[in-house]
Amino acid sequence: MWAFLGSDVMFFGAFIATYLVYRGRSLNGPYPSEILNIPVTSVSTFVLLMSSLAMVLGLHYVKEGQKNKGTLWILAVVLLGMVFIGFQMVEFSEFVNEGLTPRTNIFGTTFFILTGIHGAHVTIGVLWMAFLAYGSHKGTLRPDNALDLEIAGLYWHFVDIVWIVIFTVIYLISATDGPPPGAELLHG
Amino acid sequence: MTTNSLTFPRFIPRPKSDTGIWSWIGTVDHKRIGTLYGLTAFMWFIVGGIEALMIRVQLAQAESTLIGPETFNQLFTMHGTTMVFLVIMPLSAAFFNWLIPLQIGARDVAFPRLNALSYWVFLAGGLILNFSWITGNAPNGGWFGYAPNSGATFNPGLGMTYWIVGLNILGVASIAAGLNFIVTIINMRAPGMTMFKMPVFTWMTLVTSVLLVLAMPVLAVAGIQLQTDRVYGTHFFNSLGGGDPVMWQHIFWLFGHPEVYILILPAMGIVSEVLPTFARKPLFGYPFVIFAGIVIGFMGWFVWSHHMFTVGLGPAANSAFAISTMLIAVPTGVKIFNWIGTLWGGNLKLNTAMLFSISFIAMFTIGGLSGVMHASPPTDAQQQDTYFIVAHFHYVLVGGALLGIFSGIYFWWPKFTGWFLNEKLGLANWALMMIGFNLQFAPQHWLGLDGMPRRIYTYAENMGWENSNLAASIGGFVLGLGILVFMFNVLYSKMNKKIAPADPWDGRTLEWSTSSPPPPHDFDVIPQVQYRDDFWFKKYPETVAEYYGHGDDHAVPSGAQFDDEPVNAIPTVSGGAEDHGHGDDGHGGGHAIHLPDKSYYPFILGVGISILGIGFLTHFSVFLVGAPFFIWGLLGWSLEPVNDPA
Amino acid sequence: MHRVFKLSFPLRPAIVLLVPVAIALLAACTPDNNQSTFGTAGPIARDQAALFKFIFWIAAVVFVLVEGAVIYASIRFRQRSSSDKLPHQTHGNNKLEITWTIIPALILIAVAVPTLTQIWEQQSGVPDDRGEVLNVEAIGHQWWFEFRYPDHEIITSNELHIPVGRPVSFKLDSQDVIHSFWVPKIAGKVDMVPLNDNYMWMIGDEIGEYYGQCAEFCGIAHAHMRFRVFVHSEEDFQAWADGMHVAADAPAPGSPEASGQQGFNTYCSTCHTNNSTTPGSYAREISFQDARWNGWISDIENAAIVSAPNLTHFGTRTTLAAGLKELNHSTLVDWITDPSSIKIGTRMQEHAAVYNTEDGTADLSPGQVSDIATYLLSLKPGSGSGGGAPATGGGVVDGAEVFATNCSNCHSTTDIKIVGPGLAGIGDRAGSRVPGLGVDEYIKQSLTDPAAYVVDDYPAVMTDWGHLGTETIEALVTYLKTLK
Repeated sequence: MWAFLGSDVMFFGAFIATYLVYRGRSLNGPYPSEILNIPVTSVSTFVLLMSSLAMVLGLHYVKEGQKNKGTLWILAVVLLGMVFIGFQMVEFSEFVNEGLTPRTNIFGTTFFILTGIHGAHVTIGVLWMAFLAYGSHKGTLRPDNALDLEIAGLYWHFVDIVWIVIFTVIYLISATDGPPPGAELLHG
Repeated sequence: MTTNSLTFPRFIPRPKSDTGIWSWIGTVDHKRIGTLYGLTAFMWFIVGGIEALMIRVQLAQAESTLIGPETFNQLFTMHGTTMVFLVIMPLSAAFFNWLIPLQIGARDVAFPRLNALSYWVFLAGGLILNFSWITGNAPNGGWFGYAPNSGATFNPGLGMTYWIVGLNILGVASIAAGLNFIVTIINMRAPGMTMFKMPVFTWMTLVTSVLLVLAMPVLAVAGIQLQTDRVYGTHFFNSLGGGDPVMWQHIFWLFGHPEVYILILPAMGIVSEVLPTFARKPLFGYPFVIFAGIVIGFMGWFVWSHHMFTVGLGPAANSAFAISTMLIAVPTGVKIFNWIGTLWGGNLKLNTAMLFSISFIAMFTIGGLSGVMHASPPTDAQQQDTYFIVAHFHYVLVGGALLGIFSGIYFWWPKFTGWFLNEKLGLANWALMMIGFNLQFAPQHWLGLDGMPRRIYTYAENMGWENSNLAASIGGFVLGLGILVFMFNVLYSKMNKKIAPADPWDGRTLEWSTSSPPPPHDFDVIPQVQYRDDFWFKKYPETVAEYYGHGDDHAVPSGAQFDDEPVNAIPTVSGGAEDHGHGDDGHGGGHAIHLPDKSYYPFILGVGISILGIGFLTHFSVFLVGAPFFIWGLLGWSLEPVNDPA
Repeated sequence: MHRVFKLSFPLRPAIVLLVPVAIALLAACTPDNNQSTFGTAGPIARDQAALFKFIFWIAAVVFVLVEGAVIYASIRFRQRSSSDKLPHQTHGNNKLEITWTIIPALILIAVAVPTLTQIWEQQSGVPDDRGEVLNVEAIGHQWWFEFRYPDHEIITSNELHIPVGRPVSFKLDSQDVIHSFWVPKIAGKVDMVPLNDNYMWMIGDEIGEYYGQCAEFCGIAHAHMRFRVFVHSEEDFQAWADGMHVAADAPAPGSPEASGQQGFNTYCSTCHTNNSTTPGSYAREISFQDARWNGWISDIENAAIVSAPNLTHFGTRTTLAAGLKELNHSTLVDWITDPSSIKIGTRMQEHAAVYNTEDGTADLSPGQVSDIATYLLSLKPGSGSGGGAPATGGGVVDGAEVFATNCSNCHSTTDIKIVGPGLAGIGDRAGSRVPGLGVDEYIKQSLTDPAAYVVDDYPAVMTDWGHLGTETIEALVTYLKTLK
């Protein structure tokens, strides 16, 4: 699993690097400063962070053999993950309404593909967790094979950490990005 | 998940028979998967070779009109893509599959079903890529797919989409295989085999696998970005939308240069096994060869921009990458010198396998030296995108990787099949390949220096390039004849079987300790490892002191991972396979002979993945066809126990 | 055990190995070929060749030592009898390892020093002490080269003229895909990346004609994307540059040239400008080139326009179709009739309306083609009397002529949109465009103040044509009103 995560680091790394290289190169709006809603995204980031906490607790109880508490916390992970995805869907549709699509400009291109790929990772994680929650409920996920959950948890934490990086790079660093110098000339 | 009480409706019974086509489709045996890899890759090798010969026919004379530019562009694109992704990589994978468990004294790889999935996905990727020929839409943007020439504006057909989808599917196969071999090598070595007692081929496989796992996602990113540009109108590489085509080159070569080492390191591993065996003495400077391999694998990540010296990155970037590129020549040189050191003072049995390995050193050296020439940006300004570069990398990939692979084929063939390949035909095979290869590619150095660019489908009569091109084309056919002799050799030797014993070459490593071909469970008893080249030193205990500088009596009991001293007492715990949660848990380190049962699910999942891939090429409705296979494969796999209750 | 091969054949690798050495040595000796990197005619190529030779000889020594060791070991240590006597089971030798790590490193330092020196020399802009700099903007197109001389206000294509011994500073750009600008005998290549300017400089220090070729795969006609560089004496260069501002003599009425001119104006001038000699024509041609490009990229499938080489003083050229063929009447006729017989994949044949025929050849009679070719070959700096205005037989300005020369790049006389609107029926609708402006006033305003009113969905790219003079504009308006 660690090897796979190494692989995934390269995957996200390349996308994030693309974003950073292309930062502030959009030739037309909407620019990040006009469209990003940091308070709302902070909430969804918090939700995702909380899901990691739930993950830790879930693993703890499964290892302890407390089936019901374990199931509950894994379900909490699923729920929080879904809330996060919901936030993302709302954000995407709002951006589209405000005129930012992947085709609009290079910010749209890099933003949607990067966060979209992350969203797909979260979705896979949610499905995986749901599967494990069902296993836990049925009693097939026991302390002796808690490694299954631990590996899924590793994945979950990884996706969470990637989001922290994305949040920093897109929302915090680029929040004030406007048009690049000379963009007006191109439209003249 | 290892869940025995969860059940999943089975539409098909589990494969049980050991013969017939269904036994192959359901196989999880690393040896059978290795054979499948080898046969499939060889088939693509013939396809790629025919593409190469067509290119050579077109270029044999000036102003030739035999093949138009459109077909020519498709040919060189597919030749490059095929030879890299469908030939050299999977041929290496065939050796990984066959040899890694045998060399480390294991009964299978860590995740046998994942291994089967890798193969089926690889097969699907190759078929999708080559299906483009049938539709007349073969990719035509070069194996390097430079944007914007590969984008929808300038390349509106489906060709480059085939290329992206094909490569991304192959990437899945490579990442899965890479993960599998990393885990196998780290966790499943026989008791006593510390990292520094591993055979060099195993080491090079490990380095290659790490590179695969880290490099293929980068290619996937490049592919996804190009695909969204092509299909959804994003602007990653579209300069009109604020993107930059140079970005494609950075991402592609960030994958592409490690890829070069993915291609060559396995061959280096093979040569490092063949030379000591037939020199009848241990590899010279084992730790240095290993470290050189690791350093090459590491430094391969810091040289990508030497493919881009003429892109205009500025003098500072060019200087930095010139230096890092030259530095990588040092560990490469160390390897070459150590191989010569291995030959030196040996008792060389010059059979076919050995000749291929020695030729590898000779030819790879030429490729390395010409590499230094264009590591220097000022000279590269004249050589970049000319036939000099073509000559260079063919000396590395044919003179290096392919000769190494042929050496491996002749060397391990008796182990794989139980019979020998004919040595006289082998000699003819070797001689024709060497003559043809040098006749084909040596003149191309000269062509490049004489100003002939790459990827041109024709050239004028007054350029002075005809003779060299004609020589190269003749050489191509001689090389092809050498390959035909090889195929004839296989048939001839199969009909006139000369049975091979378990240890035909007086070998050094564990694979020679089991029968030829090995039983399904590889080893009746999991070997206990005391020495590097353990099998050899147990056959010739009197040589232990000579090699280690002291006898067994000085040996210290030790189980440290990186210890390379011989040990007396074998630590009891081997670090055998751990049950990883994917459900594809390998069997244990060898307490009882207990092999994973066959399974169809890797095949079904592979079918699902490839139909989903086809969906990108055709219409999204195809996803609806692929998805059920995908989900069926995934759930079936997860819920199917590794072994049915006996 | 296995059969052991005897003696003779370890020698075979030796023979095989000698082939590349021999060929590589030959490389240093035949600099006459057109694109040889050794027949240098400029300091940059000379430095690059010298550095190559320096590395080559170091490599040759390493090559001989390594291959010698391989061959020697293969012969000396081969198994001589069937005796399986074990050689010494050596572990390795740390001193040797350190030696063969350090020695290559030292060699590479020896290579790195001149490498870095040259990188900074060649890639940091033109040095100040090399003389007066000539600036050239070279632009790659699929599949030809455009050369702009901003200091001289000259635009030409596929044949670059530079003065001997003077540094030429290139700004390299591309309009479509990545190309690479390469004149092997004068300087190594630098890529032309769309909207991502690169810079290079070179000096040609021997008068002569040099071959150049695109070195980056750029699509179907990549093999055919060539160009020539003419290094002139300072005087000849000046004469050439001055000549580029002298209009060609007008064809005599009734001559094949005159008929060819008419054909050119009808079928070719939408994309090809052939009279960029007057003041202001430089800037205008750049805006045309942009407009043609926009016209193509905005609707590739149906575009009837595409960026095309400027053909001013075409008759002075020596080659045809980006350095492919010698330029003469017969090759030019072949080219106009069926471009793909010379260069497969040309955009001209793909988009120009005149090639919209069943077999893709030009919809012109052999006589028309011949006349157009004759006309094009007659385009040379004239006696100086032409002065840029089109020939005006008997002082009466011919509006159709003016239109063909000046307007047809962007406007058709039918409904077809090129860049600007097709002008059929303009007389009927011009009066209703802007309240208060009659037909004549509206057309005149469009000509002299085009930004004042732009029809919806068209780019505001038209320039002010007031310099044509009142008489010419009146004639043009009269002509336009006749279009139905």
